[in-house]
Amino acid sequence: MRGPGPADLALLVPELILVGVVLALMLVARRIRRGPVAASITVVAAFVAAIASVQALSGGATSGFAGMLLVDGYSQFFKLLIAATLVLATLLSAGCRKDDGVPRGDYHVLLLLAATGMMIAASSTDLMPLYLALELMTICSYVLVGIRVERPRSNEAAIKYFLLGSFASALMLFGISLTYGLTGTTSYAGIASALYSRGLVSPALIAVAVGMVVAGLAFKIAAVPFHSWAPDAYQGASAPVAGFLAAGSKAAGLAALGRVAMIAFGTETAVLTAVLVGLAALSMLVGSILSLSQTDMKRLLAYSSIAHAGYAVLGLIAGTSAGASATMTYAFFYVFMTLGAFGVVIALGERGTTLDGFEGLASQRPLASAVMLLFLLSLTGIPPTAGFVAKFVVITSAVQAGQVILALVAVGCSVVTAFVYMRVAVRMYMSNTVAPPPAPFPLAVTAALTLAALITLVGGVLPAGVMSWAISP
Amino acid sequence: MTSYPVLSAATFLPLVGATLILLLGGGRRARWIALATTIATLAVSAPLFTGFDKSSGDLQFVESTAWIPGWNVAYSMGVDGISLPFIFLAALLSVLCVSVSWTAVQSKPREFYAALLVAETAMIGLFAASNLFLFFVFWELIVIPIFLLVGVWGGPGRVFASVKFLIFTLAGSVLMLVGMVALHQASGTLDFRALALARQYLDPATQGWLFAAFLAAFAVKVPMFPVHTWLPNAHTEAPTAGSVILAGILLKMGAYGFLRVSLPIFPEGVRLFLTPMLVLSAVAIVYGAYVTLVQTDIKRLIAYSSVSHMGFVTLGIFTLEQRGVEGAILQMINHGIISAALFLCVGMIYERTHTREIKDYGGVAKLAPVYSTLLAFFCLAATGFPGLNSFVGEFLIVSGAFKTEMWLGAVAVWGVALGTTYMVWLFYRVVMGKPSRGLEGLALELNGREIATLAPLVLLALCLGLYPELVLSYLRVPVAELLAIGGLQ
Repeated sequence: MRGPGPADLALLVPELILVGVVLALMLVARRIRRGPVAASITVVAAFVAAIASVQALSGGATSGFAGMLLVDGYSQFFKLLIAATLVLATLLSAGCRKDDGVPRGDYHVLLLLAATGMMIAASSTDLMPLYLALELMTICSYVLVGIRVERPRSNEAAIKYFLLGSFASALMLFGISLTYGLTGTTSYAGIASALYSRGLVSPALIAVAVGMVVAGLAFKIAAVPFHSWAPDAYQGASAPVAGFLAAGSKAAGLAALGRVAMIAFGTETAVLTAVLVGLAALSMLVGSILSLSQTDMKRLLAYSSIAHAGYAVLGLIAGTSAGASATMTYAFFYVFMTLGAFGVVIALGERGTTLDGFEGLASQRPLASAVMLLFLLSLTGIPPTAGFVAKFVVITSAVQAGQVILALVAVGCSVVTAFVYMRVAVRMYMSNTVAPPPAPFPLAVTAALTLAALITLVGGVLPAGVMSWAISP
Repeated sequence: MTSYPVLSAATFLPLVGATLILLLGGGRRARWIALATTIATLAVSAPLFTGFDKSSGDLQFVESTAWIPGWNVAYSMGVDGISLPFIFLAALLSVLCVSVSWTAVQSKPREFYAALLVAETAMIGLFAASNLFLFFVFWELIVIPIFLLVGVWGGPGRVFASVKFLIFTLAGSVLMLVGMVALHQASGTLDFRALALARQYLDPATQGWLFAAFLAAFAVKVPMFPVHTWLPNAHTEAPTAGSVILAGILLKMGAYGFLRVSLPIFPEGVRLFLTPMLVLSAVAIVYGAYVTLVQTDIKRLIAYSSVSHMGFVTLGIFTLEQRGVEGAILQMINHGIISAALFLCVGMIYERTHTREIKDYGGVAKLAPVYSTLLAFFCLAATGFPGLNSFVGEFLIVSGAFKTEMWLGAVAVWGVALGTTYMVWLFYRVVMGKPSRGLEGLALELNGREIATLAPLVLLALCLGLYPELVLSYLRVPVAELLAIGGLQ
C-alpha cells in the first residue's frame, strides 16, 4: 500500500480550497468584526471551489485514495449544488441582525467546513470516508444551530440535535461495522461484489446492516422516523442556518444515499425497496400532516422539508439510473425553492418568523410576496415551476417501479401540503395587516432571492438542461 | 397561411401584457393596457377563423418545437374544429372581463388585471395545446390566477371559497398527474394524436383505471355531481370577471378534457364507465335544477344553474352519438355565452345596489328598462327559448339522449322544464312588480360601456340561435372522426 500521492490530492481540489480558506479565516477570525468581509470571502471560495470541481472532471471520471473517493458526473453535480447552497446561505446570512452575538468569522468557518463535509460525502465510494465526511458536516451543524449562545431556545435545539445526531451516527457506524463483518470490506464496489457472490452471509444480518446504514443517512435528510430533530433544530437555529441545513444536509444525505443504494447495496433490492418505501411513505404523510398545524414559519418549513425528503427518496426506490437521476433533479430544484422560501422568511426579519407575520404582505411588499408565492407554488408542485418538474420525475420513477399506490400517496400528500402553503399565500394576499412594513432588504438577500427565483422559474419552463446533467452514479 | 405562429402569439400575448402591467401599470394605466392586450389577442387570433379548413379533421396551425427531449415531450400546439370555438370564446370573454371591471375594481388594479391576463394565457393555451403535458401545464396554471381573483377581490366569504376551489381542483388534478405519468409509461409519448394511435397497447383494465384518474380532474372542473360543491362558493364570491371566467371557460375545460383525452385515448374505459357517467349527468341536471330553485341569492342561483346546464353537456358527450356530442359542444359554447352574460348582468347591478339577495330586488323594469330587456333576453336564452342559442344545443342533446335511452331523454326534458321555471321565476322576482323600496333613488340604468359589454353576447346568442351552423359546421368532421377513432358509435 502506498500513501496518497499528488494525483489523489488533485481529486480533492474543491474541498482543499474550502479548507484552505477555513484555515486562513481561522487565523484572522478574531479580527473580523464585520460580516460582509467574511461573507465575501466565503462566497468567493464557494465559486472557486465550484469552478475547480468543474475542472476536476475535465479528464473524465477518476478514482483515488485507493478507491475511496470518486470524481464523476454524479459527485460533480452535487458539489456544484452544495457550492450553490453555500453561496445562498452565506448571502442570506447577511439578512440577520448585526447584534445577535454571532462571531462572524467563526460562523463562516463552520459553514465552509460543513460544506466541505457535504462535498466529500458526495464523492465517497467507501463507507469510512462517507462516515467521516458526514460527521464533519453534522458536528459543524450542531455548533451552527447553537451559535446564538444567549438564546436558550438555540441551546436547547443544539443539544437535542446533538443527542439525536449522535444516536443516528452510532447506528450508522454499527451498520458499517456489521457490513464490514459480513463482507470484509467497506468499499461500495467490494460490498456489492461480496453480496453478489454471497456465500455464508445470512440475509437477516444483511437486512439489519442495510437498515442501519440507511437509517443513519435518513437522519441526515430528516426522513421519518428519523426526523424529530428537524423542527426543533430549525426553530432554534437562525433562519439562514435552518435553510442551510434544510438544503445542504438533505443534498449531501441524498447524494450519499443514492450511491449507497445504487452501488453498495444495489443487489439487496428487496430489503432496500422495503426500507425506502417505508421512509418515503412515512415522510410524506407525517411531514405533510404535521405541517398543517404549524404557526411558526421555520417549523412549518421544517415539516415541509420532511415531506420533501420523502418525495426525493421516491426516485431511489426503482433502483434504476433513471430513478436516481429523478432524485438528483428533485434535490437540485428543492434546494433552490426551499432556500428561497427561507430567504423570504429571513428578509422579513422578526415578522417572518410566524405565519401571522405574513398578513397583508402583498400590499406592503408586492414583489417579495410574488416571489414567496412562486416558491410556495413550486414547493406545492404546480406548473410552470421547477417543483412541478421535480414532482413529475419522482412520480414517474415511482410508477416505473410499480409503486402506483405510493405515487397516489405522494400526490395525495401534495394536496395536503398545498393547503399548508396556501395558508401562507392567503395571509399574504387576502388579509389586512396593522404591522409596519418590513425594513428594506439587504442587497445580498435580494441577490439570493433573485437567483433562487430565477432557477425556480426557468427550471420549471425549461427543465431539459438540469435533467440531462443529472447523471446517476 | 400567416407569417407568425398564431396559436403561440394568441397564448402568450396576454402574458406579455401581464408583465407590462406589473412593470408599468400603476393606477389607471393597468386597465388600458389590459384592454389593449385583450383586444390585440382577439385580433391576433383572427387568422385562425379565416384560414381554417372546416372539411378537415386534422390539427391545423400546427406548431411544434422540442421541449423536454428526455421525456419525448414537445411544445406542440394545434387546433381542430372542437377547440377553435373555445379559443374565440376565451379571447372574447377576456375583453368583456376587462370592460366589466373598468370601474368595479378599485383596489390593487395592477395585480387584478395581471391575474386576469395570466388566466387568459392559460385558457387559450389549454385549448391550443396538442400535447397532454402542455395541456396539464395550462390546466394547473389557470388555478393560480383564479385563486387570487376569488380570494383577493371577492365577496365576504372569498377566502374560504378560494381555498376550497384550490383544494378541490388540485385534488382532482393530482390524480390526473398520476394518470398522465402512467399513460406516459405505457405509450412513451404524450402527444394527443400519438396517444390515440397507441391506445391498442392499453388493455381494457388499464384504460378503466386511466379513465378514473382523469375523471377525477375533469369531473371537478365540469363540475359533475357530487364534486360540484366548490362551484357555488367560488362563483358567488368571485368578482364579476372571475365569475365570467369560471362559468364561461373554466367549466368547459373539464368537458373539453373528456373530448380531447378520455374519448379518443381510452374508449374502453369510457365504455366501462358509461352508465355511471350518464346517471351522474342525469342527477346533476335534476338535482342541480331543484337546488337552483330554492336559492335566494341571485349569483348563487346562476351558479347552481351551471351544475344543471353542465349536466346536459356531460350527458350529451356520453350519449356517444354524433348529434349528442355536437350538441354538447355547442351547448358548452352557449353556456359560456349565456352564463357569462348573466354574471355580467348581476355584476353590473350589484355595483349599484351592493346586494345580491333576490328579496331586495323587484320592479327593476321601471327603473332600468334597457337593463331589464337585456336580462330578459339572456334569461330566455338560458331557458332554451327557440330562436336563441341554447335551444339548438339542448334540442340536439335531448334527441341524442332519447336515442340512447328513453329515460335519459325524459330526465333531460324534465331538466329543461325546471330550467325554464327557475329562470322565469328569477326574472319575475327581480324585474316585475313594484319597485322595491331599497332601489328607489338609485341610478340603475346601464351606461354605454356596459351596454357595449353585453352587446357582443346578445349578437352571438342571436346568431347561434338562428344559424347554429356557425359552430356546428366546425364540429361535424372532428366529432365524426372522434367517435370513429374510438370505435365508440
